[in-house]
Amino acid sequence: MSRLALTRIDQPMTAARVGIGGPVGSGKTALVERLIPALQARGIDIAVITNDLVTAEDAERVRRSGLIDPARVSAVEAGACPHTVIREDPTLNIEAADELERRFPGVELILLESGGDNLASTFSRDLTDFWMFVIDVAGGDDIPRKRGPGVIRADLLVINKVDLAPHVGVDLARMQREATDVRGGRPVLLTNCRRGEGIDAIVDLLEREVLFRT
Amino acid sequence: MLRLHGIIGRADDKAYARQLHTLEHRGGIELLFVPPQDAGRKRFRLTTDRGTDCAVSLDRDEELVDGALLHLDSGRAIIARFGEQQIWRLRARDAASALKLGWHAGNLHWRVRFEGEDLVVLLDTPLESYRARILPLIESGEVVERDHV
Repeated sequence: MSRLALTRIDQPMTAARVGIGGPVGSGKTALVERLIPALQARGIDIAVITNDLVTAEDAERVRRSGLIDPARVSAVEAGACPHTVIREDPTLNIEAADELERRFPGVELILLESGGDNLASTFSRDLTDFWMFVIDVAGGDDIPRKRGPGVIRADLLVINKVDLAPHVGVDLARMQREATDVRGGRPVLLTNCRRGEGIDAIVDLLEREVLFRT
Repeated sequence: MLRLHGIIGRADDKAYARQLHTLEHRGGIELLFVPPQDAGRKRFRLTTDRGTDCAVSLDRDEELVDGALLHLDSGRAIIARFGEQQIWRLRARDAASALKLGWHAGNLHWRVRFEGEDLVVLLDTPLESYRARILPLIESGEVVERDHV
């Protein structure tokens, strides 16, 4: 029996790749804008890829935000349904992530924001190590019950704009309970991205599940 | 937490047979059961059957396989095991029904494979959520459920 453990742990890990998907207007870019400073505050070296249909609108918004070096923000133009470049053929996004890792060798986490899509949108495991799906209370409290693949299969379901619940007649506790039920108990977190509420819980999860810090 | 990076080899490699046999007698083999839908991951956090919390990462060009040896030392080996892939086997009554079934499977982005005249759906969530999507085809007899394992 060898006395030495066989392991390759000394090799540096590549950056964790974390997908963010969800319907149009659910708050994906707002979540990115909240996650950037929250991750940076914990000393995590990050970069961002945004996906848009035929523009670089979201990338420009993040670059102009002043939250991150604009060179660390890459844009992918899907040119078709957003899910085509995060699931069917994620080559463009893989190349963009590889390029960010080459340019910024110490990067530990890359956020990949999908273009706004429908409830069937999911990420390829070839592209992301972990992905979250963002819905919002104003989209209707029946969304979890519709059991879309995005809601069911995401590693994390984020319910955003929780502050709007009383104004749109949503029973937030029931919505959260139903979301947890359809997901078989896998994580569901609540956020109000406008005020930065609930962001730390997402970062906690990322630190544990993909950065292995805790 | 035990940090593991990369695949050392396969548990059935002859090179490791003696070491693994010895460890087996000492109770030193730990199995890390990976759900089929997570087999494509390059990073994951799972607990072995002996309770070891493992944080596993792979290189981007590595593919996790059933039986992958993830850790080996004098007292312990950790081996990845895939859970059984649940499948749902369907057969269409005729060509027109097959077209409808194929359209639904594509539209719903199901993972499928073709076996003779059967469409085999690889399930990522409970069967009921799949069946509900094509219930009219089943109830009309256009599609017959042949197996679910």
